[in-house]
Amino acid sequence: MAGICCGVVGEGDTPAPLEPTPRPSRRRSLDILPLKYIADMPMPPPEALRKRPKLNLRDCDNAIENCDESTGHKVTKKESKVDYDDDVVSETKNVTVSEVEEESPKFGVTSVCGRRRDMEDSVSVRPCFTQGFHYFGVFDGHGCSHVATMCKERLHEIVNEEIESARENLEWKLTMENGFARMDDEVHRRSQSNQTFTCRCELQTPHCDAVGSTAVVAVVTPDKIVVSNCGDSRAVLCRNGVAIPLSSDHKPDRPDELLRVQSKGGRVIYWDGPRVLGVLAMSRAIGDNYLKPYVISEPEVMVTERTEEDECLILASDGLWDVVSNETACGVVRMCLKAQKPPGSPGSDVAADGSDRACSDASILLTKLALARHSSDNVSVVVVDLRRDQRQSSNYNDVN
Amino acid sequence: MLPNNPSTIVPDAVARHHTHVVSPQQCCSAVVQEIAAPVSTVWSVVRRFDNPQAYKHFVKSCHVILGDGDVGTLREVHVISGLPAAVSTERLDVLDDERHVIGFSMVGGDHRLFNYRSVTTLHPRSAAGTVVVESYVVDVPPGNTTEDTRVFVDTILRCNLQSLAKFAENLTKLHQR
Repeated sequence: MAGICCGVVGEGDTPAPLEPTPRPSRRRSLDILPLKYIADMPMPPPEALRKRPKLNLRDCDNAIENCDESTGHKVTKKESKVDYDDDVVSETKNVTVSEVEEESPKFGVTSVCGRRRDMEDSVSVRPCFTQGFHYFGVFDGHGCSHVATMCKERLHEIVNEEIESARENLEWKLTMENGFARMDDEVHRRSQSNQTFTCRCELQTPHCDAVGSTAVVAVVTPDKIVVSNCGDSRAVLCRNGVAIPLSSDHKPDRPDELLRVQSKGGRVIYWDGPRVLGVLAMSRAIGDNYLKPYVISEPEVMVTERTEEDECLILASDGLWDVVSNETACGVVRMCLKAQKPPGSPGSDVAADGSDRACSDASILLTKLALARHSSDNVSVVVVDLRRDQRQSSNYNDVN
Repeated sequence: MLPNNPSTIVPDAVARHHTHVVSPQQCCSAVVQEIAAPVSTVWSVVRRFDNPQAYKHFVKSCHVILGDGDVGTLREVHVISGLPAAVSTERLDVLDDERHVIGFSMVGGDHRLFNYRSVTTLHPRSAAGTVVVESYVVDVPPGNTTEDTRVFVDTILRCNLQSLAKFAENLTKLHQR
């Protein structure tokens, strides 16, 4: 089993960067995500575009089989809105390791269009975005891409401002709720203005208010993982081999969401699945102003203490979670991390931009798995390595 | 069928367009929108069967597949993502430039709105105002209720007409400069 997995991981070999200089690192960050898919498939019939029911596979063996299936799979890769901090190289150089502050965690990102015609997902990774905290966000847009793009570009800045203004009285739930509310306000104000977007609906004036996005955001601090979720993307923690959901999908038929929508005078109608007013398949989102007050932008915030048993954190859009269970995703990532050389050893691959080969391999593998299982949506995956102790990773190698 | 006092809103000359034959498995409804723009401005937008995305923001793109804008024209409408449909094929049934009446029916697509037929009429409210009335009839899909169907379609139409109001009012401001 491990051999098969290692074989698949080998497909993701990428050249290691030589020198960490700002300009070449951009090319390398693109090379580090080697999604050289070729578009040779005709557009599937409209029925195939509908999302399939979630598969609840618990058997890791199936994951292995599907790894094989995905080997020769070809899909279309369109623009991948993965946004790295342009200054990450100099930041990495200047980081002073202290007892409190830790080096930015290793991560990998994959974001592909998949079988949809348009790419409306965005991903934002901001290592050390403020006082030793690290920020990871996945945004799955609908209606158009500009709300997800705004979230990618602005939400981390807004959250940073909220954290700074809280100073010593940092209360995570309030901070993140304020951040999401301000992001939603910005989206709304912009749709009322005459500013243009570089997207399909830029010619419309006034701009469309039937556009929105999910937002699942993780702030990783030295001692906590803070996950804020709005919509049906998801964050999952892998701790000692167990998949722990750190978010709960905002589907309109979730009992408490159903009650909330109804209490505001709205209705959940089953029209190709449960939808608010029969229109939108999620009960919370950034944007979608025409569906307020039924569809709100208030996040659910979960604060988790970090432990020595934490292995990885996975953030992804529902293009992954609709076809891959939490347990399967954790199993895939664990196997990729096990196959990794211990951090700091000679030859270990840590890219200048902070992304990591094992984490990148894991995110690529999860994406391939989702596409092999006929996900009909954009797929975006962020994998964060949360392991701290080098000895712990050595133990994994001993197991192999 | 029409809300409030139909006779004061819809003149007799066009009231017949809003009289739909409704079968037991169908539902009908109407949405009304006031717009602070002259009828001529609003009509110039509404009558463009080839360009619904100018004000219908659930439309991503539109392609005329038959005809040149007269009655009988067929268009294929592609819907934005996130909605429970991707494409709708629609036929222009009525186009009356004198009385400001336009009507179309859905003849294909992956929505669940079978035998959908709608009519939109424009009426001057004052020198600078317009009242838009859009009524429709449609089959109630299996598994849904009449109320479900009405809530769903009314939501879409209300959003469309509110966008039309903003768009036409913006056009009026542009012309006044």
